[in-house]
Amino acid sequence: MTDMAGTTPAVDMREINKSFGAIQALHNVNFRLMPGEILGLVGDNSAGKSTLVKILSGAYQRDSGQIFVAGKEVHFKSPQESRDMGIEMIYQDFALCGNLDVAANMFLGRWPRKGIFIDRRRMEADAEAVLDRLKVKVNSVRQRVESLSGGRQQSVAIARAISFDPKVIILDEPTANLSVMATQQLLDTMLELKSQGVAQVIISHRLQDIFEVGDRVMVLKRGAAVGERLVKDSSQDEVLRIIVQGDGAEEALSA
Amino acid sequence: MADTGVTRLPGAHGGPGGTLTGFMRTWEFGLLVFMAATYLAGVMINPKFFGDATALFSILRDAARFGVIAVGMTFVIVNKDLDLSVGSTMGLSAAMFALAFDRGFYDLQAWQAVLVAVAFGTGIGLVNGVLVTFLRVPAFIATLTMLFIGRGLILGLTSGRNVAFDADKVDGPLFFLIGQTNALGFNNQIIILALVATLGGIVLARTRWGYETYATGGNIQAAGYAGINTHWVRIRAFLFSSWAATLAGLMLASQDTGATSQAGVGAELIVIASVIVGGASILGGRGRVIGSVLGAILLVLIDRVLREGFPIARIVKIGDREIEILSMARLPPGAVPAFLGMILVAAVLIEPWILRRKLIQRFVARLRGRPMPMVEIESVAIESMQTTGTSLTATEFHARGMTKLFTYRESAAVVFVIVLWLIGFFLRPDFWGNLDNSFNLLLAFTEIGIMAVGMAYVLGNGDIDLSVGAVLALTGSTAAFLMKKADMAPMIAALLAFSVGTMAGVINGFLSTKAKLPAFVATLGMFYMARGFGAWLSGGRQLSQFPPQFNLIGRKFYQVLDYWGIPPAPDSAFYALSRAVSTQTLILAVLAVVAGVVLWRTTIGYMVKATGGNRRAAEYAGINTDRVRFLSLVFVAMCASLAGLINIAWFRSFGPQAGAFRELDVIASVIIGGGSIFGGFGSVFGALAGAAVITLLRALLSLQVITKTGSFVMPQTWVNVAIGLVLIFAVLADIWFRQEKIHRRLPFRRRAKHPTGGDT
Ligand SMILES: Nc1ncnc2c1ncn2[C@@H]1O[C@H](COP(=O)(O)OP(=O)(O)OP(=O)(O)O)[C@@H](O)[C@H]1O
Ligand SMILES: [Mg+2]
Repeated sequence: MTDMAGTTPAVDMREINKSFGAIQALHNVNFRLMPGEILGLVGDNSAGKSTLVKILSGAYQRDSGQIFVAGKEVHFKSPQESRDMGIEMIYQDFALCGNLDVAANMFLGRWPRKGIFIDRRRMEADAEAVLDRLKVKVNSVRQRVESLSGGRQQSVAIARAISFDPKVIILDEPTANLSVMATQQLLDTMLELKSQGVAQVIISHRLQDIFEVGDRVMVLKRGAAVGERLVKDSSQDEVLRIIVQGDGAEEALSA
Repeated sequence: MADTGVTRLPGAHGGPGGTLTGFMRTWEFGLLVFMAATYLAGVMINPKFFGDATALFSILRDAARFGVIAVGMTFVIVNKDLDLSVGSTMGLSAAMFALAFDRGFYDLQAWQAVLVAVAFGTGIGLVNGVLVTFLRVPAFIATLTMLFIGRGLILGLTSGRNVAFDADKVDGPLFFLIGQTNALGFNNQIIILALVATLGGIVLARTRWGYETYATGGNIQAAGYAGINTHWVRIRAFLFSSWAATLAGLMLASQDTGATSQAGVGAELIVIASVIVGGASILGGRGRVIGSVLGAILLVLIDRVLREGFPIARIVKIGDREIEILSMARLPPGAVPAFLGMILVAAVLIEPWILRRKLIQRFVARLRGRPMPMVEIESVAIESMQTTGTSLTATEFHARGMTKLFTYRESAAVVFVIVLWLIGFFLRPDFWGNLDNSFNLLLAFTEIGIMAVGMAYVLGNGDIDLSVGAVLALTGSTAAFLMKKADMAPMIAALLAFSVGTMAGVINGFLSTKAKLPAFVATLGMFYMARGFGAWLSGGRQLSQFPPQFNLIGRKFYQVLDYWGIPPAPDSAFYALSRAVSTQTLILAVLAVVAGVVLWRTTIGYMVKATGGNRRAAEYAGINTDRVRFLSLVFVAMCASLAGLINIAWFRSFGPQAGAFRELDVIASVIIGGGSIFGGFGSVFGALAGAAVITLLRALLSLQVITKTGSFVMPQTWVNVAIGLVLIFAVLADIWFRQEKIHRRLPFRRRAKHPTGGDT
C-alpha cells in the first residue's frame, strides 16, 4: 500500500522540531502515513514517540515544521481541531469513564437527546451498531466499563473513536498492561479497522504486536527518525538493532 | 529564643544555606520579615500591650503549643496527607488529663494522668493512620470525622463542664512546671517547643525516616516500589501529629491548671495554615520543620493582633455638648476564624501559584534585566490530588428476579430506613408510629434532605463540600441580621441572604476550578469563613422575632394559603393535606423531583457522572468539567442557603449552633445512599434515602427509652459521636463492599458473568 505512488498521504509531517526547555524532544522529524496503513512507531524510552503523536493530535504545539492532513496544511491548536479533521487519538489512561456504561461512554459528551432527556434507546442501538461494525462483543451495552476486561475496554475506546468516522487513529502504547488474550482482541479490532480503510499509528514497545498487524515500522532515537522498514521485508531483530544502535547513515547525523 | 536553635538545620531540598545572603533568599527569612511587620502593626494598634517585652514572651508561649503540633503536622503534610483532628485531640488530651487528675473525678497522680492522655492520643493517631492507609479512606474525611467524634467525646465525658484543679494538688508535681515562667523570665513551654522542633527538624531533614517521608509524599508509588513501607510511614506521621497534639493539650492543662471543654477548638486551622505558610506544599513532598514553627509563631501573632482591641475616640453628642469617649474597639466574635480561614486558603494558593511559578524570582529577574528562570511545571494540577491515590473499581453484582433489587447502590439505604423505622416502633410503639412523630421526623429530614440533594451533585463530580453547615448558618444569620438589625422586608432580606450563601458557593467553585485548589481545601477554608462571618453578623447571639410572613417558610402550607387569602374549603381533601404538610416539605419535594430527574436522565447529569468518573476523559470528550464542577458547588451552596432560611423560619430564630455537624450528616447521607467519596456515583433518590437513614438514626439515638427502672435519653453530644462513626462506616462500606471484591465472600446470590467469556 505504502508504495502506491500518486496517493496523497493521510498524514504528512515535515521537519518537525519540538523542545521542552533545554530538552530537544524532536529534531527535524519527517513522518508519513498512507490511507489504510498501520504504522508502528518504536524507539527507546523518551525517544519522542509520544511527543510526535501529541503534536499530530494537537495536544502539543510544534516549534517548527509543517503538517499536512490529506494534502491540506493544518495548524492544530487543540485536540478538538484535529478531531474535526478526522484524527482520533486514544489515550490509555483517560479514554473512558469506568463508572458509566458502555453506551454512555461511546457517546461521551455528545449523548443523543430527546427533548431535555437522554435518549437511552437510540444511544444503546447506535452503540450496538458501532460495536457490531468492529466485531467487538460485549454482553450488554448497559454494562459498566469497569467490569470489562482490559482488552475489551481498549476496544470500546476504539469503537468510541471510530464513531467519529476518523481517517486516522493513533494508539499510544495500547497493549502496555494487557494480557495475551486481551492484546489479541485488540489486534483483531485493529485489523478490522484497517479493512475499513482507516489509517492507524501504533506506539508500542512490543515488536511482536507491531509485526503481527503492522505494514511499516518507523524508529525514533533521541528525537530523530533513525530508520524505517517495511514489515514484510524486515525482522524483529533488525528493528531492535536499529532501536539500539541507529541505522548506519543516520547514525552519523544524530551523533 | 525558641527558634534560633533550629534555624541552622539544613533543609531537605538543599536550599541555599550557610551564608547570610543565602539565608536571606529562603522562605523562612521572608516569614521573619513578615513577622516583624505584623508585630509592628500590633505595636501601632495597641502600644500599651505590644510595646512590652512580656507581650513577645506571651505570644511565644501561646505559639509554643501550636508550634509543637505544627512539627507533627509537617510530617503528615509532607506525606501528602492532612490531619484535621489535631484540635480536638489537643482538647481531648487536656480533658483526659483533667478527668484523670482532678479530685472530683479519678484523682490519679500526675504521671498516671499523663499516661491516660498519651494513651488516648496514641489511639487517635493509630485509628487515623489505619483508616487512611490500610482502609483507604481519604485523609481529610477520616480526620474530619475524628475531629467531630473527638469534640463529642470531650463534651460527653466532661458534660461540658470546666475543670479546675485544687490548689494543693497543683503544688507538688513537676508536671505543672511546664506551664510556668522560669527563672530566665520566659515560659517553659517555649523550651519544649525548641526541643520538639529540634528533634522533629533533625528527624525530618537528617534521618532515614525523614527521607522516607519525602519519598512517600513525592511519589507514593515509586516509594512503594523502592521498598519503603509507605503504610507505616504515613501511620507514623499520624502518630507524630497526634502525640504532638497530646503534648500541646498537656501543656495547656499545665498552664491553666485545669481544662475547658473548648480547649483546642479550631486549632487545626491555625496549625495547617502554619505548616503551609511555613513553605510546605499541600501537594506533598515539600516542607521544613523550621518553616512550620515560624509559620505557627506568625499565625499566633496575627491571631493576637486581630483579637487585640485598639483604642478609639468617639464623639458623642449629649444635648448640645460634644463629649469625646475613649473606648476599645474589637473585632466581633467570629471575625478571627473568618480571617484565619482566608489565610488558610491564601496560604494554600501561595505554593502552586507563586513558588512553583517562581513569580518572585521572575519579577526580580525582570527588574534586573536578567534571563527569566524556568517555571517548574507548566500547568498546575493540584486538583489531581483530590483524595490521595485511591481510585477503586466499582464491582458489579449480577442477579436476577428479587435479588436484582439489591444490585442497586441505593438498596442499602432503603433497607436501613425500613429496619431503623421498625426498631423505633419496637422501642416505643406508643409514640413512634403516631402522626406527630412522623411529621417531626419529616421536618428534621427536610434540612438534611435539601442539602443532600445538592451534595449528590458535588460528590458525583468527585468533589466535596465541607462548608454546607457553615453556609446554612451564614445565610440564616444574614437573613436574621437584615430583618432584625436592618429592618428589611422579609422578602428582600431572604433574597439578599440567599445571594450571600450562593456567593459562598461561587467562591468555593472559583477556588476549586479556576484556582485549582482541591475542593476539600477550598470548602474547608469556607467552613471557617462562613461560620466566622455568620457569628460576626449575629454577634454570636440568638436572634429571633422575625416578621410573621417570613416564618411562613417554616409553617404548614395551610398557613401560607391563608396568608395569601386563598384558604382551601374546610372540608376538602386539599384542606386536610395543606394542614398536614409543611411548606418546607413541599419545597424539598419540588427540588428533589427536578434535581433528581436532571441528575438521572439529562445531559447535565451525565456530565456530572462523567466528570466524577474520569475527569480527563470527560474533558477530552469536550465536556467543560470546570463548569460542571463550578455549577455543582454553587448549587449545593444554594441548597444550603435554602436550608438556612427554612431553618430560622422553622425555629423562628437564628441560633449560633444552626447547621453544626450538618456537613457530616449530609455527606454521610449521600454515601449511604450509593454515592462514592471518589466520585462518579450517586442519585438524588439515594441521597434522600440516606438522609432518611440519618434522620431516623438521630431520632432513634435521642429517643427516650422507657425501662423498668425509669427512662433513658442519650445526650446530643453522644448522638453526634455516633453519627461520626456512621460516616466512617459508610465510607468504609462504600470502599470495601461496593468497590472492592470483598463481596465475593458474602453469602450473596450473584452470578459472576464476566464479559471476557463472551467470545470464542
Ligand atoms: N510536557 C513535557 N514537558 C517537558 N518535557 C517533556 C514533556 N513531554 C515530553 N517531554 C520530554 O521529551 C522527551 C520525549 O518524551 P516522549 O514522552 O515523547 O518519549 P516517548 O518516546 O513517548 O517515551 P516512552 O516510551 O517512555 O513513552 C523526554 O525527554 C521527555 O522528558
Ligand atoms: Mg510515550
